[in-house]
Amino acid sequence: MKAAPVWQRKDTLWLAVWIGGLTVLGLWDVAFLNRPALLRLASASWNTAIIGCAVVVCAFVFGWSSALALHALDHAGRRWGYFVVTFFLNLIRSVPQVVGILLGYVVLTLLIREEMVGSQTTQLMAIALVISIFVFLEVTDLILERIRYFRKLDFFDAMLVSGVRESRIINLDILLRNSRAHLVHKAIQLFGSSVFLLCSVDFIVSVGLSTDVSLANFPPTLGGLLATMDSKQDILAISTVLTDPLSAPRLLLEHLQGISTAFTIVFTLLCVFRMSSAFVARRRLE
Amino acid sequence: MTKRVVEHLLAIVVVGAVFGVLIARMHEEESARRTALDPAVQEALRLPFLDFGDPLDRALFRETLDALAPHHRSRHNSLLQKIAEVRREQFTTEAYKTGAEERGITSVKLLRVGAMYLQFIAIYVLVMAITVYASETLGVYRFVRMKQKKSSSLTRCLEVVRDVRLPHARRVVEAARHLALAIAKGLLSMVLFSPAYVIAYSFKTRFDTDSVVFMVVLGVLSNGLLITYAHKFTTFLVAESRKGYVETALVKNLFHSYAARIPDGIPLVAMVRLRKRFPGHVFHHIYLNAHHQYLPALKEHASLLISGLVIIEMALNIQGHLSYEMLKNILYRQYDVVLLIAFGMYLLVKGTEVTVDLMMEREARRLENRASMGGNDR
Amino acid sequence: MHRGRTIHIASGERTLVAIDGFAVAPQQITILFGESGIGKSLIAKALYGILDPEELTVTIDGMSYEQYRSLPETQQLQAESFFVFQEPSTHLNPLMTLHEQLNEGSLAAAPHEAEILRRLWSASLEEEVSALLRLYPKPYRPSGGEKQRMLLAMAFKKMDAIIEAGKGKNSFFVFDEPSGSLDNTYRDVFLEMLFDRYRTAPMTIVLITHDYSTIGTIYEHHADLLPRMIFKELRLDGELRLHTFAPKDYLRWLDQLRPLAHASREAALTIEPEVHVHGRLLRITRDPQGREPCTMAVPYGGLVYLKAASGVGKTTLVKTITGLVRPQRMRARVAGQELDERTPIHVWRKHLWGKMMTLVFQHADEAFNLESSVRGVFAGLPIWRKRPAPSLDRILSDLMSEATVLSFLDKKVKQLSGGQKQRLNLVRGMCLDTTLLILDEPLNGLDFESAGKVIQMVQRKQEQGKAILLISHNEDIFDRIVPKDDIYYLHAVTSA
Repeated sequence: MKAAPVWQRKDTLWLAVWIGGLTVLGLWDVAFLNRPALLRLASASWNTAIIGCAVVVCAFVFGWSSALALHALDHAGRRWGYFVVTFFLNLIRSVPQVVGILLGYVVLTLLIREEMVGSQTTQLMAIALVISIFVFLEVTDLILERIRYFRKLDFFDAMLVSGVRESRIINLDILLRNSRAHLVHKAIQLFGSSVFLLCSVDFIVSVGLSTDVSLANFPPTLGGLLATMDSKQDILAISTVLTDPLSAPRLLLEHLQGISTAFTIVFTLLCVFRMSSAFVARRRLE
Repeated sequence: MTKRVVEHLLAIVVVGAVFGVLIARMHEEESARRTALDPAVQEALRLPFLDFGDPLDRALFRETLDALAPHHRSRHNSLLQKIAEVRREQFTTEAYKTGAEERGITSVKLLRVGAMYLQFIAIYVLVMAITVYASETLGVYRFVRMKQKKSSSLTRCLEVVRDVRLPHARRVVEAARHLALAIAKGLLSMVLFSPAYVIAYSFKTRFDTDSVVFMVVLGVLSNGLLITYAHKFTTFLVAESRKGYVETALVKNLFHSYAARIPDGIPLVAMVRLRKRFPGHVFHHIYLNAHHQYLPALKEHASLLISGLVIIEMALNIQGHLSYEMLKNILYRQYDVVLLIAFGMYLLVKGTEVTVDLMMEREARRLENRASMGGNDR
Repeated sequence: MHRGRTIHIASGERTLVAIDGFAVAPQQITILFGESGIGKSLIAKALYGILDPEELTVTIDGMSYEQYRSLPETQQLQAESFFVFQEPSTHLNPLMTLHEQLNEGSLAAAPHEAEILRRLWSASLEEEVSALLRLYPKPYRPSGGEKQRMLLAMAFKKMDAIIEAGKGKNSFFVFDEPSGSLDNTYRDVFLEMLFDRYRTAPMTIVLITHDYSTIGTIYEHHADLLPRMIFKELRLDGELRLHTFAPKDYLRWLDQLRPLAHASREAALTIEPEVHVHGRLLRITRDPQGREPCTMAVPYGGLVYLKAASGVGKTTLVKTITGLVRPQRMRARVAGQELDERTPIHVWRKHLWGKMMTLVFQHADEAFNLESSVRGVFAGLPIWRKRPAPSLDRILSDLMSEATVLSFLDKKVKQLSGGQKQRLNLVRGMCLDTTLLILDEPLNGLDFESAGKVIQMVQRKQEQGKAILLISHNEDIFDRIVPKDDIYYLHAVTSA
């Protein structure tokens, strides 16, 4: 079967739109944004992307392991083990993600103060770890749902009675061969939600009560950059366009730091969502 | 079902106990902290030549520390922050004398936080009801538009431009209209995907952003909540429309046109109705099943919605609201209050889960024929 | 309808069906055979105008599907016709009661509902039928057979309405595997009801099936209609073609089938007559009426046939023996290994699965990882631990003529036809060389020729001394190759 051309594969098209949009924005910023702000924006975007990707990796590691553990406990008839693990997972599930991540940031602050988390790379990974704790259950649920779905089909039992090992059936036949598209889709979704959560929490933490009360000096991210006074004034200027449409060009020249930051966040969320939806439609994952 | 409810209750009791112990511990630590001050902080505060209220003195102190011990910058940051906290506390203590509230959990604070919690629940319920209705309506509308094979405004614009049969003036007007529509839809799309703080700061000078109404509107429209769930509902409809029972409905000659303006089609009024019904139409079958699937999604919806509301209240510094109070207490390190509020939110999520489970159980009893067959498995 | 149609159906770039000159004789009964998955249902749905053009690209006689569906003759056909789909479980709405579904659209005003239901369920069960109508269709309740009969009831309601209105000339009734979930008694009731109506008002009827035993029933009870019946078979010989099928060839083939005599009386499997499972008591007996409970023994080199009405629990019983379903009570012995309700699952895993016993599932579509390649189906099986390891080509060559083509091994299972999948399903079970082989509906979805090959293979296994337990509704065939002493009956006695 030949693959459909790119313009018909809407998920790929949206990926191209995302990369293209950010490239155009980058070129515009190189031309019109002052150098310190440009460096801040570049560093914040890079850090955000790194954390987003790291969250996806960590969430998959946690999700995959917890799902397999739960499945094994369930089918080995170890009720108590199953109950305890489920209880803790449900506990994480019941804490709103933002609240959980904020509490995680508190712990992280203590670790940074104690110099247990020192370099910027370690800090980025630690942030990713905190976020992934509150999103990995999506992977756990997906994997368990896939295993449950295939267990209901004769396929699982037919392989078992043919003498195929259960671990092989789950990892190779169910997850890698039959759920790859679902897992890719989940990775796209997780990237989107981690960017959203990271930006939101960093914005909240950075805005705080006043500029001299912050949890710690975390690596700059888009959320943190948006919370700076300069950026906030830039996005406040958007509303002036409503009453004075002719002032729109000024936004793109004089308020570039805040506008670029806000645009990068919103445009990323929009494109990631579109990619994910188009992927679902193309691969029929409904 | 009793098993599920017991599980939920047990979880609440265990988590409540854990939170209770932690809160009591934090409360004790807080009291102890107030009596014992870090020796390093005490030493720094005793330096007679430094005024920690002066930013220049603070910078000088920090640079001196960094020069003496360049590998301990984080520790220096931490020391300066502790000094700032102690000074703030001293200021607050002054405020106590003039009748302001105490640190930690007190009855006055408990009452105030309790009132905020009730307000938070009211906003949550309202936003939940509106988003559920709006997501279904928008989901149905998008599905019907898909079935009507309506092309997007941008495609229509291109089609009009290419259509040489139309007079030139009309082509320009039509193309401009479709282009304007496409831009408006694009902007609306951006708004729906924007985090709340981006929208709120964009309009901060235009509206009273601290009002409850603004919060509800923001809760519904921002953080991608509405668009995500509308899309989810459309996905349910698409998946259901491919099921076998739709084929059976078709061969029974049920109406199957999705046109809006014909008697056997799907009128707009039916789509926006609170209680949606499409009798005699194939879509009735599809809608029933999609609606049924939406019920379990409410649990996940609840968690995302609470996260959204927390972001709005915290990011916009909406004073007098629960999440802002929580953030304030995190920043002032009053973790006992923070834990109390977090437990309140946990209870709200659990409450939603129990409600959804009860609703699902009621549906399951009806649909799995347990009521009509006396509960026996055949 | 009567003129030959050129039909092309594709999903994306992949052609699913391409056939020239597909014709259905007007006002006659066409009985259409063919391997499952070859395209019988798709062609019938395409002609009925019911395929979704958003999912599939369909052209009929060069017309787009939209054009075909808007033709006045297609619209008239849809108004006066009905299609009974082959999977009753997915073709009923789970959120509406059976009564609601039996009385909507053009069925709302259709006559004779009570009469139709009485015949399809038998009059003495009238109360049960009215209780049934209040149910919502769920996976186990009503049973597959009941759901199937409900869809047939819809078709008969529509048929009666058309007969009463004096129409029917343009009607097109399609029954796609209508007896797939029915036992032989209900299948015969259905055929009788259908042919009675046809005798009153001849309509265009297409009966899609791979149940060849229908032929025997027609020759025995409805021979008067043979001149109005056309037997066809859809075959893929390079390209898809509609061939004339000679029912007498089948009857002659049936006549020459004989059982093998087996030497050993030592049993590879014994199971006590009463098994409690899923809250039910299943009883094995020697007689069809269920009066003589007895231990079932499957001897080495023997072929034992377990019969039961649809929905009694044949598959549940064999899943219990194979350790896939945990019973409340069971006593069995497989190749010296005692098994009961307390036997831990690791006993099956360690000693039995793939070594002493295996089960060939009835639905090949569900029994495979469809994303796997043909080669992948055999990876992970314990046969590769044997020395010397067998060759995959040799394993496949018994049943799969396609095995000679190397590219076949790398083909994904989902790209195989239904018949190929079923044969692959049997090959996987048989290549394990287990002491006990359990076959659940082994002829499902197979054409006449493949069914013959399967029977040869089963008999070869018997000759090798393997014990075979069989469940099937193909009584016509298996009654001839299983000695009467090796036929048992299964009954669901009561709720335990």
